[in-house]
Amino acid sequence: MTSAVTIKGNKYGIRVQLSPVVSYEEIKTEMAVKFKDMEHFFGDGKMAISFEGRLLTDRQQEELIGIIHENCNINIVCIIEDDPAREQQFRQGVEQAMMEFDSSTGQFHKGNLRSGQTLEVEKSIIVLGDVNPGASVVSKGNIIILGALKGTAFAGASGNQNCFVVALSMQPMQIRIADSIARSPDRPEAKENHEPKIAFLEEGNIYIEPLNKSVLNDIKL
Amino acid sequence: MGEVIVVTSGKGGVGKTTTTANVGTGLAKLDKKVVLIDTDIGLRNLDVVMGLENRIVYNLVDVIEGSCKINQAFIKVKGFNNFYLLPSAQTRDKTSVTPEQMKELTDRLKESFDYVLIDCPAGIEQGFKNAIAGADRALVVTTPEVSAVRDADRIIGLLEANEIRQTNLIVNRLRMDMVKRGDMMSAADVVEILSIDLIGVVPDDENIVISTNQGVPLVGNNTMAGKAYMNICHRILGEEVPYLDLNKGGFFSKLFKK
Repeated sequence: MTSAVTIKGNKYGIRVQLSPVVSYEEIKTEMAVKFKDMEHFFGDGKMAISFEGRLLTDRQQEELIGIIHENCNINIVCIIEDDPAREQQFRQGVEQAMMEFDSSTGQFHKGNLRSGQTLEVEKSIIVLGDVNPGASVVSKGNIIILGALKGTAFAGASGNQNCFVVALSMQPMQIRIADSIARSPDRPEAKENHEPKIAFLEEGNIYIEPLNKSVLNDIKL
Repeated sequence: MGEVIVVTSGKGGVGKTTTTANVGTGLAKLDKKVVLIDTDIGLRNLDVVMGLENRIVYNLVDVIEGSCKINQAFIKVKGFNNFYLLPSAQTRDKTSVTPEQMKELTDRLKESFDYVLIDCPAGIEQGFKNAIAGADRALVVTTPEVSAVRDADRIIGLLEANEIRQTNLIVNRLRMDMVKRGDMMSAADVVEILSIDLIGVVPDDENIVISTNQGVPLVGNNTMAGKAYMNICHRILGEEVPYLDLNKGGFFSKLFKK
């Protein structure tokens, strides 16, 4: 038989597993007994708590925390919600905010990136130099290379599909934007003119086009 | 106070050992005090290229472990007064030496020599770390092949990360006939990819094979490779030397010129 209340904890927090089958009254009594028993074990630390296994109303949560405070000396400072749907909502909100931040701010890197080197940045990145074969640039925002791109570039690494890659000489091994990957053709065209080009994502495909005004007008930051 | 120069490439078989032997001999011919150190522990061959294999008694690991004095391990090179080889051990492996021990050794040697030349093993593991530990300067050897250039690029990145400030490029085994046909990268193409300063271009020359087999470096003689290596030595000393015209001078090109 599983008990109505199971407590797991570490230095910073307690997880309280509540049985979904027993009555709420039973849980309250069991809580009081369990926490009284463990009074000495927990001491008087500040802790976070999460209730699992059973959906509680706000009032019930307050009541249970009241029981904890009555029976031992620990101080509950926050309640962690274990609700996947809400977590997803929070995550989306935070990531959205992060992405907006990413594509509107940037930083510079001076020097060539050589085989085996990886440059990873949270913001957009402007590389003053070449990205050689075997090297890679990863950014959550846009990537602008004032030099040759011969290695790998990964823009919008956290999933922003509006990100783009610009290089003065575009001969990449691979370009990745958000969840899409494009690789170079196995047999490169004989003599490409190395004009500045931009790679962007449209309907799941990565396009590489010469950099001109009309393309720039379509960029969404 | 001398200078410690490491000769490295990443990829094997591009001519590190040949370059070390020839540049070292060239510098000695220019009256510099030179010592060569073979750090390819377990796969030594600088002594073979120098023609000194039969004189090895003590080696690098013996010196590091204190089994002998450093002067006992030195092999004096035939025909020179201030030119020595410190051979590698053949029966041990790269982990017998640590980068700290190598740095201590090279720091000591550069007090009494003008140039300490280190022959680096292929790869980027322990042997490479040992070889570059005490280096002030690096010569990166590559052939005009994509794989060799790719490895050289990786090596240059690692040298930069280890704060070796001066890194020069040697393009080895260039074949002008193939470059002209568009079948081989030119020295300029290689420099463009690696973007470090070029210090020498050595043509593919069958005399190299003969000279390494005989154990007599060809630097300074009348062959194309011999001239190219001598030019590299002059450039290491800081002199400005024009690059050889690799188009002319070949026996066959003279023969077929109408």
